[in-house]
Amino acid sequence: MLSLLIFLPLVAALLILVLPSRFQQQYKYITLGVSLIQFVLSLFIYLKFNSSSLAAGISKESQYQLVEKLPWIRLNLGNIGSLEIDYFLGIDGLSMPFLILSALVTFVATLASWEIKTKLKAYFSLFLLLNTAVIGVFCALDFFLFYIFYELMLLPLYFLIGIWGGIRREYAAIKFFLYTLFGSVFMLLVIIGLYFSVINPATGNHTFNMILMMDPANYSYGSIFSAIADKNLFGISARLLAFIVLFVAFAIKVPIVPLHTWLPDAHVEAPTPVSIILAGLLLKVGGYGIIRICYSIFPDAAMQSAWWIGLIGVVSILYGALNALAQTDLKRLIAYSSVSHMGFVLLGIASSTTEGVSGAMLQMISHGGLSAMLFFLVGMIYDRVHDREIANFRGLAEIMPQFTAFVIIAFFASLGLPGFSAFMAEAFSLIGAFTSEQVNGLLPRWMAVAASIGILLSAAYFLWTLQRMFFGQTRLKGGEEWLSKLSDVNTREKFALIPLAALALALGIFPSLLFDKMNASVLAFVQLISG
Amino acid sequence: MEGLEFSGFVGIISLLVILLPLLSFLLILAGQKGRGADLALINISLTFILSVYLFSLLWNKQPFHYQIPWFLIGGIEFKAGILLNNLTVLMMILVSGISVLVHIYSRIYMKGDPNIHRYWAYLGLFCFSMLGLVISDNLLLIYLFWELVGFSSFLLIGFWFTRHAASQAAQKAFIMNRIGDIGFLLGIMIIFSQFQTLDISALFGDNGLMKESRISEGLWISGSRQIPEVWLSIAGIAFFMGAMAKSAQFPLHTWLPDAMEGPTSVSSLIHAATMVAAGVFLIARVYPVFDPFVLNIMVCIGAFTAFMAATIALTQNDIKRILAYSTISQLGFMVMALGIGAYSESIFHLATHAFFKCLLFLAAGSVIHQLHHYRDKLGLDFDCQDIRIMGGLRKGMPIAFIGMCLASAALIGLPLSSGYLSKDAILITAFEWAETRNGIFKILPYLLVLTSWLTAFYISRLVFKVFLAQPKLISREQTEQIKDAPNQMSYVLIILAFFCSFIAFSYNPASFESSWLWNGFSSASIQKVNIYHWLVPLILNIGSLGLLFTTYKIYVKSDGISIPDRNLLYRFSKREWYLNEIYSYLFTVPVEKFSRACYWFDRNFIDALVLKSASLVGVLSGITYWFDRTLVDGLVNATGTLAKWIGRFSRNFQTGKLQHYLITMLLVVLSFFILTYFI
Repeated sequence: MLSLLIFLPLVAALLILVLPSRFQQQYKYITLGVSLIQFVLSLFIYLKFNSSSLAAGISKESQYQLVEKLPWIRLNLGNIGSLEIDYFLGIDGLSMPFLILSALVTFVATLASWEIKTKLKAYFSLFLLLNTAVIGVFCALDFFLFYIFYELMLLPLYFLIGIWGGIRREYAAIKFFLYTLFGSVFMLLVIIGLYFSVINPATGNHTFNMILMMDPANYSYGSIFSAIADKNLFGISARLLAFIVLFVAFAIKVPIVPLHTWLPDAHVEAPTPVSIILAGLLLKVGGYGIIRICYSIFPDAAMQSAWWIGLIGVVSILYGALNALAQTDLKRLIAYSSVSHMGFVLLGIASSTTEGVSGAMLQMISHGGLSAMLFFLVGMIYDRVHDREIANFRGLAEIMPQFTAFVIIAFFASLGLPGFSAFMAEAFSLIGAFTSEQVNGLLPRWMAVAASIGILLSAAYFLWTLQRMFFGQTRLKGGEEWLSKLSDVNTREKFALIPLAALALALGIFPSLLFDKMNASVLAFVQLISG
Repeated sequence: MEGLEFSGFVGIISLLVILLPLLSFLLILAGQKGRGADLALINISLTFILSVYLFSLLWNKQPFHYQIPWFLIGGIEFKAGILLNNLTVLMMILVSGISVLVHIYSRIYMKGDPNIHRYWAYLGLFCFSMLGLVISDNLLLIYLFWELVGFSSFLLIGFWFTRHAASQAAQKAFIMNRIGDIGFLLGIMIIFSQFQTLDISALFGDNGLMKESRISEGLWISGSRQIPEVWLSIAGIAFFMGAMAKSAQFPLHTWLPDAMEGPTSVSSLIHAATMVAAGVFLIARVYPVFDPFVLNIMVCIGAFTAFMAATIALTQNDIKRILAYSTISQLGFMVMALGIGAYSESIFHLATHAFFKCLLFLAAGSVIHQLHHYRDKLGLDFDCQDIRIMGGLRKGMPIAFIGMCLASAALIGLPLSSGYLSKDAILITAFEWAETRNGIFKILPYLLVLTSWLTAFYISRLVFKVFLAQPKLISREQTEQIKDAPNQMSYVLIILAFFCSFIAFSYNPASFESSWLWNGFSSASIQKVNIYHWLVPLILNIGSLGLLFTTYKIYVKSDGISIPDRNLLYRFSKREWYLNEIYSYLFTVPVEKFSRACYWFDRNFIDALVLKSASLVGVLSGITYWFDRTLVDGLVNATGTLAKWIGRFSRNFQTGKLQHYLITMLLVVLSFFILTYFI
């Protein structure tokens, strides 16, 4: 099932590669079809998902669902045992929601790809390859396999930004590429270190199995990452160092302040569909990695660093929001708002409370949908008049009423209007952060209080934008020419926007749609990390 | 009151009450544009009828509480539910009743607006959120509706969004309210982390968790959870902050006067009668959370707001702005009353105020509406809301005039009016309360008396200037051509006028203790009799009547007072205590500057650091390249060259001459022997 989900796009990409170019107008329909099938499949997985506490997953292999485990690489290495890499997929409550999100965001991004006019064959095959990699990351339970998918994401993204991007696309693409590569190179070292530390009790071999890495009993005594031996590397605890390395690798993706500067550039230069994927899915890979890998494998180090992670979260929230307030380019504004909103994810995770972690998970799903919606909306304006400078527009509400309605929904949902998912997510991240001092003493209360100011700032920048661009008397920089080009929302665009708005609304009113499915896993996760 | 069937029944009716307005919102936006007006009116009327039914069923009965599971986080189940008690059912008929009237009124008032369907839709959304707010049984749900109320108010203030001032005002209102919302959210966080529930009856009920929690040795303890005592006060202040923003209390009140940019019917419904009462409602709902310290803050803020707003209203010239400040002032009375523990008096005033303030706005609305028509007909250009250009409208608009007079009487608190009952109740209680206090609290009731007199002055100034004074702009004959608004609007005024009299609230015009409404909230059944009960109303009314007479002299008989613009106090009041300027100087501008500084820092420091390190790598790679070319490659080349050189050198031996070879051999053998000899 999961393999089908992962490799369907790859098959489609191969199909597109072999199809002659005269069918190139059909490529987008193939892609759309793939994303629809994925959506149906993931919906089916969602409905069939077992949410009982006996299927919580996290650190118990037997509790994962839809597990596919095949020996992949077995190499006899003589006296160090044999190399054991598995093709190991499975999901639990913390990864299942991302499958639906991936399918939905891909669907929307495909609809946004209608505006791509050049080199369609290359574009759609790379696009589908990216999709394979993203879903693979969320399903992989073998660290080696995870790493392969993780790195595989970079390649298509580099080309997608570098070829179909804006004016400074090469700069943005290389910046993005190097930034993320920087993180993942060191990650590889930790993976190897973990491999040599962990022994599969069943076979006696070293293993890349992530779930086995979560159990301190599987570490061979005296190995570098053994919790009992507590070895030092460069003067600090090896486990803490490994945690920090992994955290930085994923945090670049999230992104955190001060490792965020690739994001505004990448977004501004990327074509709309890539921005959608980037904000909707790629950032979530970071958050997912922190939960699944950093926290689950190194809970002791995570508890030690909780204060700092919480602080990074608060700083990201406030700093991102303040930067958003200063923007004059609409897309850059939304890029900075992503930094701010993803800060809530970190804060929620750092609190290590059920409320906080649930809030963080919901925030990732919610922001995935909403940022996709926001970037889609920006793309709509940009595609029409090739301008996104806030000051060049005024009074759009009169000429594009439906578009404005969608913008109002997206803006208010993002700024945390109750009834939409972001509110529930942010509220529970904050509640978790606040409760933390009483429950586990990890985060001081002022962090939650300070972070809540971010909610005020987000209202400020979104409303200010609304007022500047959409209200008032219509006045456009491009005059009559723009007026004729700025047509209201068309049917294709509605097909993209309505599901996203519906997702935000549904999760805002019935958060149980998500909370119920992942509650057991969140509980198991909190139990694992607070030991 | 027993039986599952009954509770299901009441639950369904309450749900209908809130869902019907939502239905009109959805239907109108989904395409029923043409029938918007009828749809909205029918739905809100049904809502009103059902609310009245619920009121008759539940008033002074056991509170009704019904809940269903909502979602689960960890081991804590959040429930969504309905809590109907006296406060709720009263608010329900108040909100839906006034909504019905405003809907009827708006049919004429908003006629001809090209986007009228949006107006009906937004009104529906507002009624939905406001009614949802009052019936919700837990803090999270209340918060949800609380912000939705703010959102619909945003939409309605900015209804004429092409006007810059309107969109600005909408934005200001939302952001100011957001400040309060953060307080509310903080309160929720504190309560949740202390009690692990947000259910109101579990928290604040008679044997609720709040009552059972205790304070010892500087800690606030509930069950196994504890938190430093100061957080109890912070929680109180946090909730109060929410209420301050929504109920426009100093220092978060400046959005309300600006909100007058919305249609007058909206100002009347939302920014006078209902939404602004939400803050008072919230305080009433979470009342047990406030400790004495916070209650004292509440008293001070309330009294100060009442006074400050009244002083500002004295000098304003925009008819709606005067009324807006009057609203702020009256809300100050309510908040102050809650602070001194006069719970029932406060709710009583909330109810009476809703009617008379609604009437004031709607009467003002008909004046504005008629002036508008007149202006457009004659093609004149003047500001329809400026009371300086009005005057002499009594003849042509008797209904608006009488309505305005009755409502003003209630606002001042003249005998036989509803305001007399409720406002004097607050004042009497305030005096009783102050008896047991010291210091600054002793003078607060006197401040309220002063405020009441200021009220008498500004509202009579308004009425006299608009209806009785000499017309300024046009001749008296022309003024008389300006007639009362169409019947539909006038009927609404008449109905509201009825509710400004004492009859609707009490059979005894002189005693608030005999009011059914007051009794519905008061637990003390004993009649408190002391000197204040007759002295306070007496002094108040003598003063008010004296002021009425004076204003009449000033504005009708003579040409008003001419105050030099340089007068410091006058300017202070006229410019609304310079608060907008102060806020802009203290907050708006610095935040904007700070955000730009952050962005500058981001570009020129953080990103520059990244780019610097990138160029550092570039430099490093340059060095390695040089190293590679000159040293590594040089070494290779040198080896090659050396080999070549040796080759070239040894080529010299290959001469082909036998003698040379022999000599070489001889030299080699010789050197070999020499070497072996020495070693």
